[in-house]
Amino acid sequence: MFSLRLALKSIFNEKWMSLLSMFSIGVMLFILIAVAIVVYNVEKLTARLPERLTVMAILKEGATAEEVKAAQAAIKAEPAVKSVTFVSKEKALEELKKSFKKDDFILKGFGENPLFDSFDVKIKSEGADGVRQLIQRIKSIRAVDDVEYGESLMDSLYALKSGLRALGISIGIVFLCSVTFICYATVKILFYRHREEIEVYKLLGATRWFVRAPFFLEGTIIGILGGVVGSGILMAFYQYFLRRLIADMPMFAFMSIPVQFLYMLPVCGMLLGLGGSVLALGRLKY
Amino acid sequence: MIELENVSKAYDGQEALSNISLRVERGEMAFITGPSGAGKSTLFKLLYLAEKPDNGTITIAGHNAARLNSTSIPLLRRNIGVVFQDFKLLNNKTVYDNIALTLRIRGYVEKDVKERVHSVLKMVSLRHKADNYPLTLSGGEQQRVTIARSIIGEPTVMLADEPTGNLDEENEKEIMKIFKQINTKGTTVLIATHNRALFENTARRVFFLDGGKLKGEEQ
Ligand SMILES: Nc1ncnc2c1ncn2[C@@H]1O[C@H](COP(=O)(O)OP(=O)(O)O)[C@@H](O)[C@H]1O
Ligand SMILES: [Mg+2]
Repeated sequence: MFSLRLALKSIFNEKWMSLLSMFSIGVMLFILIAVAIVVYNVEKLTARLPERLTVMAILKEGATAEEVKAAQAAIKAEPAVKSVTFVSKEKALEELKKSFKKDDFILKGFGENPLFDSFDVKIKSEGADGVRQLIQRIKSIRAVDDVEYGESLMDSLYALKSGLRALGISIGIVFLCSVTFICYATVKILFYRHREEIEVYKLLGATRWFVRAPFFLEGTIIGILGGVVGSGILMAFYQYFLRRLIADMPMFAFMSIPVQFLYMLPVCGMLLGLGGSVLALGRLKY
Repeated sequence: MIELENVSKAYDGQEALSNISLRVERGEMAFITGPSGAGKSTLFKLLYLAEKPDNGTITIAGHNAARLNSTSIPLLRRNIGVVFQDFKLLNNKTVYDNIALTLRIRGYVEKDVKERVHSVLKMVSLRHKADNYPLTLSGGEQQRVTIARSIIGEPTVMLADEPTGNLDEENEKEIMKIFKQINTKGTTVLIATHNRALFENTARRVFFLDGGKLKGEEQ
């Protein structure tokens, strides 16, 4: 296709500018995706958190057997709940003794069992975001006195998560705009450099589309190549940084980079490049 | 067919054309002459829609120029072959690519482009220069490239602005022969020139322009 040839030739003729744009786009997309990876990993981490979380529903003293049964059924009926196990206070004490092992003399001081009957509630991971509401609902059950769970830990983790999400989105928007702007500026400069040529094209009867197509293609190609550069940096980052980090500090082993991100970058670059060129040429008369 | 009715055009308050009315019939070959600065090139710019008249109506190839929207202007221009006084060749493209552009814009396949470019290059005797760049050619050669580019699209109207300005007598005769040839095939040809030799003893109509005014018409 003639337009494609023109676009490639123009990129080649202006290779320094094109390369510069491509690398800036690549670096920006890489930063963008790095932020996305951090957000992704934190999400992944917190998504599994409720699964590990044990929620203990402490039962009211003197609750009747029927009330306890009804409460168990009600909790069990919650879609986010995986299992509900009744733990009698005797069993709880035994567990406690077990955990103290030889030091169980500490418990000898108590004449009677100081513990309560309770439910051990396990939560499915999908229910992550609704944990608080779930706790509220369990609390409102008649036989339940109080609910204990890793509240402060959960709260700070959720705060971190939502903060990170907001930060990620703002950084995302800033960088998306920057990438679009680079494509916009590159295409605009290329367009002005070719003004005389375009004038001749028009005088020879070229349509608006014929004149613009090469520039749309140029913006798109630069965007795609920028995305490829970004993917390259991402891969290098993974190979030389993350893998070593994990080898040295296994605590980061949960960090992972989804493969889709590698394909997403060029696609992202393509869309932004096309968007930038449409913006660059949109208002021009021809 | 070309028709101007009471057409005026001013640049920064200076009238380049004032109240021009003229008519060139379909299939006719006519000349516009007059000293430099008379307004010949300006008249052409109005005809190929690079400029808009301040007043008056222009009809070309059956269209009222003022009524054309931006999508039909390119289509009209494909019916008009123009030999620009300043050539307007693209210096970063070869002679071949400059001429081929006219057809590529129209979406011709490369096989047809090649065939036709070679045939017009032959007409202007520049086959051996196909791969040269315009700036390596003499003024006369560049002019012939421009002419080749304007005739390759087989336009219904041909506007030639000083088409022989840089040519020696030999080439001038060749070029005039080409214009007559395409005129015989039915193309309306309008040539702007200050060279009287082109139209003397031709029995063609000649319009005299001076200071932007039409001073007369002669057979
Ligand atoms: N783009 C322009 N801006 C200002 N003045 C112009 C422009 N084009 C032509 N003119 C003026 O219009 C007059 C006619 O010019 P032109 O049509 O080129 O004459 P010709 O082709 O007969 O030599 C001249 O006085 C010229 O200076
Ligand atoms: Mg002139």
